[in-house]
Amino acid sequence: MNVHQMSTEPALMSLTSIAQAIAEKRLSSREATQSCLDRVAQWQPRLNAFMAIEAEEALAAADAADAALAKGNNDGALHGVPLAHKDMYYDAGKVVTCGSRIRRDFVATVNSTALQRLKDAGTIRLGSLQMAEFAYGPTGHNTHYGPVHNPWHVDHITGGSSSGSGAAVAARLTFAALGSDTGGSIRMPAHFCGVTGLKTTVGRISRAGAMPLSQSLDTVGPLARSAEDCALLLALMAGADPEDPTAVTGPVPDYNAAARQSMKGLTIGVPTAFYVDDLDAEVARILDETIAVLKREGAHIVQVELPDQRQLTAACQLVLAVEAAAFHKRWMIERPQDYGPQVLMRLQNGLAIPGVSYLEVMRWRGPALSAHLAAVAGVDAVIAPVAPVAAPTIAESDVGNSPNAEAVIQRLTRFTRPINYLGLPSLAIPVGFTHSGLPVGMQLIGRSFDEAMLLRIGAAFQRATDFHDRIPKFA
Amino acid sequence: MTRPTPKEIKAIADVAGVAVSIEVATRIANSIGPAFEGFAPVAGTLPLDLEPATFVVVQAAKTPKKAAK
Repeated sequence: MNVHQMSTEPALMSLTSIAQAIAEKRLSSREATQSCLDRVAQWQPRLNAFMAIEAEEALAAADAADAALAKGNNDGALHGVPLAHKDMYYDAGKVVTCGSRIRRDFVATVNSTALQRLKDAGTIRLGSLQMAEFAYGPTGHNTHYGPVHNPWHVDHITGGSSSGSGAAVAARLTFAALGSDTGGSIRMPAHFCGVTGLKTTVGRISRAGAMPLSQSLDTVGPLARSAEDCALLLALMAGADPEDPTAVTGPVPDYNAAARQSMKGLTIGVPTAFYVDDLDAEVARILDETIAVLKREGAHIVQVELPDQRQLTAACQLVLAVEAAAFHKRWMIERPQDYGPQVLMRLQNGLAIPGVSYLEVMRWRGPALSAHLAAVAGVDAVIAPVAPVAAPTIAESDVGNSPNAEAVIQRLTRFTRPINYLGLPSLAIPVGFTHSGLPVGMQLIGRSFDEAMLLRIGAAFQRATDFHDRIPKFA
Repeated sequence: MTRPTPKEIKAIADVAGVAVSIEVATRIANSIGPAFEGFAPVAGTLPLDLEPATFVVVQAAKTPKKAAK
């Protein structure tokens, strides 16, 4: 059931609002944290969104944050705000399972840069969130820890690999969460769970201390309740990092200011093919409705003819397969029995690709990006579905049991992988619901490092609609 | 770029030090084969003076919006 709730329950507030309320002492960090923990206790048995719940530690940290604020010490923009993140961000002294049996007892010795920057801004830890094993799965299934359930319909998938992040943000168990996106792993949970997710440009946020899957494709990004909240988080995490030479240097744009601008006068492209082919009827309807809102808000809509996206999808698959297999080679030899069957099979795919073929795919990446940028030269962003369908059921997308599962997976990731190969930013925003009450998202695709434009359009869209404010009801 | 056969995959995997059975190699061939076919139009067409770092150069270049046609 979809319910648009207006409530004074702290956990239902946006990240921006709760941070402001705590900073202004209208609400304590303890009240915010207890509110989240109450919802976690209610929802967790149904969703399986959390990997670890650290209630006592979180409340102690909240009390410390309140005490510091009482003395006039405000740590930063998110002082005392409780958050939980995908369980692949290293947090020194904490177990970081990466959704796997192999790392069930792995204790991190460093803090990931992204996480550290959020800590420096004053956030406190609620626990850690479920994910696909080693972030290698698009549905939300996990052989070792069980599937994460979609809060809108618990027998449906959340999408993956940031499955717990999508479910926990949607159910208002955390104000936001880090995810990661290598082939669609932020955008798909955002789409299936009805939240806002930002896949950043490769190099925008440091990946130091984040579990690697594919060094060429991995990106760090937030899932949150709005584009405005994503802007706040990106502003805190973006920028150069001596621990990660792939994180770009140079000034970080003012994402918060961008999110306050209108979309009037902007030009948004709609692809003529691929992203509009073979859509479920309801996704097609919602795409049309989304375009109508963009027009109403003052954007010019034009058609764009993109280069062959099937080649980009294939290139993404080849790069991902090789790099993931290389990262996991030692454990594939020593501990193959400790992987889930689906993940092991997908890792083994990388063994089939010769070095020359891999390098050929990597050499093409520059020309492919150049061709894409030429095709979108006349627009500020492109709008496209995240997936051609709303969330399928857990049963029908279970690779272990369904003969059609591989086809289901390929269909799910068709619209996200080309963007990963090109390294582009993409913002997934909730834009409607199916008649059965499942959320549907669209992705805004931008130029390299132009997250500000996507946040601008996304936030303007959300000021004109309320899909992002709707909350799944606990029934 | 052509789809590798199960026999070829088994040989490549053995060289990589991760031995797989012919059954697994057959499964891999069916799974990754479509990606080879998808990339086939590009394979073998790239010029000599093109290296992977070109991507970073293109990514860093300023590409302002041009007037829509």
